[in-house]
Amino acid sequence: MDIIDYSPQVQERFERPVNAGRLLGRVVSGEAGDEASGTRVEFDFRLRGATVEQGAFRAYGCPHAIAAASWVAEQAHGRPLADTTWLDPLSLAALLEVPDHKLGVLLVVQDALESAASHARQTEE
Amino acid sequence: MICSKDIIYLDYAATTPVDDRVASVMCECMTKDGVFANPASRSHQLGRDAQGRVELARREVARLLGASHTEIVWTSGATESDNLALKGVAHAFRDRGRHIVTSRTEHKAVLDSARQMEREGFEVTFLVPEDQGRVTPEQVREALRDDTVLLSIMHVNNETGVISDVAAIGRLCRERNILFHVDAAQSAGKLPIDVDRMQVDLMSVSGHKVYGPKGIGALFVRSGTASRVEPIIHGGGHERGMRSGTLPTHQIVGMGEAFRLAGLEMAAETERLEGLRDRLWDGIRRLGGVLLNGHPEARIPGILNVSFEGVEGESLLFALRELAVSSGSACTSATREASYVLRALGRSDQLAQSSIRFSIGRYTTTADIDRAVEIVTEQVHRLRGLAPKAGDNSERQAS
Repeated sequence: MDIIDYSPQVQERFERPVNAGRLLGRVVSGEAGDEASGTRVEFDFRLRGATVEQGAFRAYGCPHAIAAASWVAEQAHGRPLADTTWLDPLSLAALLEVPDHKLGVLLVVQDALESAASHARQTEE
Repeated sequence: MICSKDIIYLDYAATTPVDDRVASVMCECMTKDGVFANPASRSHQLGRDAQGRVELARREVARLLGASHTEIVWTSGATESDNLALKGVAHAFRDRGRHIVTSRTEHKAVLDSARQMEREGFEVTFLVPEDQGRVTPEQVREALRDDTVLLSIMHVNNETGVISDVAAIGRLCRERNILFHVDAAQSAGKLPIDVDRMQVDLMSVSGHKVYGPKGIGALFVRSGTASRVEPIIHGGGHERGMRSGTLPTHQIVGMGEAFRLAGLEMAAETERLEGLRDRLWDGIRRLGGVLLNGHPEARIPGILNVSFEGVEGESLLFALRELAVSSGSACTSATREASYVLRALGRSDQLAQSSIRFSIGRYTTTADIDRAVEIVTEQVHRLRGLAPKAGDNSERQAS
């Protein structure tokens, strides 16, 4: 397996990921992927009303998966969890300099966020 | 210790640095004041001097294999040797039969040559190693047929370091009058070899795995039947017609010196490397969830291949970038497929991808090993800490 070049942002988030771990207390969670396929991502979000007050992630996957999950957990702050339209995998790929053949990894991260959003919507109902 | 760019080199199975003593004799054979002439130019003294150096080197290689110097053919490396053995035998003996036997965990040079022979109308049986990475004599016995012309099995696997029982397999081939080729790129200079005792007819070896230069190798071709091998490179009839091309004196001399030194230092080096490998394994296994790939006893001391549970392979390799290690075979590193060798041993894709081959050698120190254990421990802990855990309801505060 060859080591590909990772952007400085991916390297930074891989080495010192922001918001890694679980959240204590009452949270809304989402998950996607599986280890056998190479990527699994889980999110916990603590809400104030419908808005994300804090996000956390766990990720099994390549450095791009870890960096993307970290970025999403951080960027969700202050946004309504039920609305995930702000996350565009292609824009995220450009931001983190993720190569085309890794776009599937970002889709798993997006699915995990959608899963949490779906749970949030069910709670609202 | 090799510590270039603050990286500890633990990839000796991929290649070794040229030993200073080897580089020194190579330098004697390149420039205008040295032994630079064409060894085939026997019309003058300078050419005969070069030929003398080539023949001395040939004897050193032969000595390490227990062969006669007349049975050594220079090639560009073990890949060419494997190609010459498989294609050369198949082409020369096609009137005898069109069946070849090999294993799924051979080096690509053997596998791809075997597949080429399939395209030329041969039938190839690819054995799946049964005994923790070893092809057993029983498997071979069952696979051999009346029309089998060649069996090709590697002595030591390049990914796992597992040693095959070549002598037992050689006996079977000799009984059936089937030619036996052994890829010994990973064993020459590291294990005692005797081509007569092992009843081997053809053996591939390489210079750069034994602290010699890259771009030079040899094929042992037993006198008699095996020497009917048909060449794959034509043009000048060098090497008794089996491999044409001007002999690279400096590389040949380097390989000869490398093999001489390997023979002299093998016993002491084996003991030292066993100690270092065990120190590395003892350090890493404390992590838990670490699986040894390959046979626990029948393996060379220089290779330790392990899979890490709960860690993704690409992240692991990147996290260990202070160590020059290999994820699977170097020759398959260009692809992202799980190691075909570990898959053939029954490892899942996931565990095959999270495998690391540590290979140690002449310049590896205890300090290198201790630092490697530190790095592996720290990074595997860290990555496992980031990963979701099945059934984990414990709460840990996000940072």
